[in-house]
Amino acid sequence: MGTAVTLLRRLALLPLLVLLVATVTFAVVQAAPGTYADTIDNPRLTPAARTHLKALYGLDQGARSQYFHWLGALAQGDLGRSFLFKQPVADVIATALPPTILLAGTALAMDVILGVLLALISARRPGGWIDRILTILSLGVYGLPSFWLAGLAILLFSLTLGWLPASHMASVGADRWAAGARWLDLVRHLILPASILGIVGAASTARYLRASLLDVRRSHHILAARARGISESRILWTHTLRPALGPLVTLIGLSLPVLVGGSVVVETIFSWPGMGRIMWQAAVARDIPVVMGCTLVGAVAVILGSLVADLLYAWADPRVRPQ
Amino acid sequence: MKTTTIFKTGALTLVYVGLLTCTACIPPTDDLSDTLVIGVLADIQSWNPYLAETKFSEDLLALIYPSLAVEMPDYHDHPPTFAPALATSWDLGGDGLGLTFQLRQDLIWNDGQPVTADDVVFTWEAQTSEDVGWYGAYTKDFIDSVEKIDDFTVVFRFSQVYAYRLMDANEGLILPSHIWGKIPFSDWHSTDWLPHVVGAGPFVPVGHVPQQDIVLGANPSYRLGAPATIDRVVWRIVPDQLSLMTQLLAGEFDFVNSLAPEEAQRVEADPDLQVVDIPHRGYTHICWNTTRPELADPRVRRALGMAINRQTIIDTVYRGYARPSAGPILSTMWAFDNTLEPLPYDPREASRLLSSAGWSDTDGDGTLEKDGRPMTLELLTNAENHMRQDICMLAARDLRAIGVEATPRTVEWGTFLSRLRDGDFDGSVNRWVEPTQIDLEDVWHTTPEAFESSNYGRYSNPKVDRLIEEVADVRDIDLQKELYGQIQHLIVADQPYTFLVEGRKLRAISTRVQGSIQNDATPYFNLEAWELP
Repeated sequence: MGTAVTLLRRLALLPLLVLLVATVTFAVVQAAPGTYADTIDNPRLTPAARTHLKALYGLDQGARSQYFHWLGALAQGDLGRSFLFKQPVADVIATALPPTILLAGTALAMDVILGVLLALISARRPGGWIDRILTILSLGVYGLPSFWLAGLAILLFSLTLGWLPASHMASVGADRWAAGARWLDLVRHLILPASILGIVGAASTARYLRASLLDVRRSHHILAARARGISESRILWTHTLRPALGPLVTLIGLSLPVLVGGSVVVETIFSWPGMGRIMWQAAVARDIPVVMGCTLVGAVAVILGSLVADLLYAWADPRVRPQ
Repeated sequence: MKTTTIFKTGALTLVYVGLLTCTACIPPTDDLSDTLVIGVLADIQSWNPYLAETKFSEDLLALIYPSLAVEMPDYHDHPPTFAPALATSWDLGGDGLGLTFQLRQDLIWNDGQPVTADDVVFTWEAQTSEDVGWYGAYTKDFIDSVEKIDDFTVVFRFSQVYAYRLMDANEGLILPSHIWGKIPFSDWHSTDWLPHVVGAGPFVPVGHVPQQDIVLGANPSYRLGAPATIDRVVWRIVPDQLSLMTQLLAGEFDFVNSLAPEEAQRVEADPDLQVVDIPHRGYTHICWNTTRPELADPRVRRALGMAINRQTIIDTVYRGYARPSAGPILSTMWAFDNTLEPLPYDPREASRLLSSAGWSDTDGDGTLEKDGRPMTLELLTNAENHMRQDICMLAARDLRAIGVEATPRTVEWGTFLSRLRDGDFDGSVNRWVEPTQIDLEDVWHTTPEAFESSNYGRYSNPKVDRLIEEVADVRDIDLQKELYGQIQHLIVADQPYTFLVEGRKLRAISTRVQGSIQNDATPYFNLEAWELP
C-alpha cells in the first residue's frame, strides 16, 4: 500500500520534472552561438543560402517562439524533424536506441557479473595478496579514460592479433551472409566495445560491493549465523550477499540512463550507431530537435531509473521499505 | 565450503572467457574481391538531392541521378567548360535569353522508363518550390521558366543575359518525374526517400544502414557510358578521424577522401596505399579587422604579413603539402595574375614599415606603441581545427618578434562565426574554399548596411567595388582577365588579408585500385571506370 502510493506520487511528478529538464536544455542549446545552418560544411553554401536555410528551419524566429512551437508539437506527441538527419526525431531515436540498448545492456551484464565476482574474491580475504592486486587493478582501470582503453584494446585485439573487428556492428558484405553467420558477426563486433564499458563499470562495482560485503560481515547477524554452525558458503551467499547488494542495486538503477543514453566516447570510437553518438553529432551540428528529443528520453530514464533503484533497494533491504 | 565458492567463481569466469574466445576465433568468411570499400566520416543526409546539404551527400547522389551536362575540371585555362551528359547539345538563342537543350533519346531510369524532357521540367519545379526549400534555389533566380518543346527538347528562359547561364541551368541533378511527381512537394520533408530512388547514373542504391554503411551497386541499365566495372561499392561510416586512419592503415579501406598532412606521411610509408595529392581549391589567410585603429593603415597590415614566416608554416603545419598564397584568386584559376608574388618574409622591412606608420617602442618594454597605445592583437581561430591553431601560434610568435603583442585565441566554431559576423576580432585565421566560377563580391565588395556577407574585416575600396561590378557584365575572357588582374593588384596592395597558403587535397587510395582519375570536382569523378583486378 505504502509502496504503491509512493510509486504513484513519483510517477505523477514525472511529466513536471521532464518539462523542467526540457526547458533548461532548450535554454542552454539556444544560448550556444551559431545555428544548424552555420555548421554545414559545404563550400557551395553562400551566405544567402545559409540565411534561406535558417528561415526554412524556423531558426530566424526568436528563442521563445521556437520553444513554444516545440512544446506545442510535443503536446501532440510530435518530437519534430531533425535538421541533420532529415528524418522525424522519433525515427532517429528509434533507429539509435536498439544498438545502444544492446551495447549498454551487454556492458551492464558484464559489469554486474564481473563486479560481483571480483568483490567476492576480494572480500574472502581482505588485505590478502589477491585482494591487493585486484584493488590496484580495479582502481587503475577505473582511473583510465575509456578512449585510451578502447584504443589499446583495438591496437591489441584488432590490429595486432586480428581477433576482433575494430568498429561497426557488422562486417562489410555481412548483408549477403546467412542469418546465423550474421548473428555471430554481431557478437564479434559487440565484444570489444561492451568489454570496455563493462570492465570500467565492473571496476567500480567491485569496489562498492567489496566495501559493502565487509561491512555486512562485521555485523551481529553473521556472528550469530556462524555461532549456529551455518556453513561459510551459505553465510556468504545468503546472509552476506543479499544485504550487501543494496548499494549495487542503486548503482544498477542509476545506470538505466546510460542504457538509453549510450556512451559518446565508446560509440564514436567503435562507430556504434547509438544514442550517444547521435546526441553528440546533433549537439555539434546544433540540431536542436534531436538534442531535445534525446534529452527527453534521457530525463525520463533518469527519473525511472532512480525509481527502480529505490524499489530494488527496498527489496534488497527491508529496513528502507516505506511504512 | 570455500572450494564451492572458488569453483563457482572459476566456472563463471571460464564460461565468460570461453564465450569470448569461441566467437573471437571465427575468421571473416566473405570474399571482398568485387567490393570497393571507402571510409567516410559522415553518413548521407538524404537520398533526395534537394533535401541534402552536405558535400558528401551531393557527391554520392551524383553517382545515381543524371545531370544535363558535366562540368570539366579545366578552370586552369579558362572558365570551366561542360561535357554532354543527359543533354547532347545546347544552344543559346539569338537574344541569349533562351537556352535550348537537346536530350539523349536512349537513356532509361533503372525501372525501365525513359528519361525525358518531363523529368527536366519537373526537376526545375522541385528546385524552385518553396515547400522543398532547396538551398541552391538561388542558382535559378534568373530562370523564368523551363518549357518542354518535345519529349527530348527543353528550353530554359532567362530574365537577363549573364555569364553563368549554362552553369546555373545545369545546376542540380535530374529527378524521375514518373515516380517522384506523385509525391506532393509539401510531403517531401516527411518522406523516406530510399524506397523511391530510381537512377540513371552508373550506380543504384543496394542498402543503407544509418550511421554504418551505404552500399551502391552497378546499374545494369546505365547508358551514358560503359557500365561500372566494380559490382559493389561500400561506404563505411567512421565518425572519428583517428579511427578512420587506424582502419585505413589496417587495410580495411580502398579509398579515403580526407587526410591530414601528417596522416599522408604515414600513408606514404604503407606499401599497400598511395597518396593522391592534388591542389585544393582553398586558401588559408589571416583576415584583419580594418575597423580597428591599429589595423586601418595598409602599411601596418603589410608589415604584419611580412613578419610571418610562411615557409615555416608550410614545413611544419602542412608538412610541405602547401604553397604560399599570393592573392584573392587561387593560383590554379585561369583568372590568376601570374605577375603577383607572395609577400616575402622580411621582418626588417616589416619593422621599417611599422616605424614609418608611427609605431615605435618608446618605453623600451619590447612592445611597439603609438600615441601611448601598445600594439596588442588577438589572433582568433576555431578550436576544432588543429592546423589553424598551430598557424595562430606560429604567426603570433613571429609577430611578437617584431614587437607586436600578439596572442593566439581559439573558440568553438559557433562562437568563432558569430564573432566574425559581429566584427569582434582583430585578426582571424580562416580558410575560404572557392567555387569554380569566380565570385569576388561576397568577400571583397564593401558591405552595405544590414547585409550579411563574408567581408568580415569590413574591407572597403571604392575602386575594387567598381571593378567587381564592371567585370560581372563583361563576356570577353581576355577583358575579364585584365579586370580581375587589376582587382587582384589593388587588394594585394591593401593587404586586408595576410594571404598565407594554398593547401593540397590529400586522399589515400589502395594500390589494388586501377583506373581512377582524381581531381577536385568530386572524389568519385570516374568511379564507374575504377577497377579491382
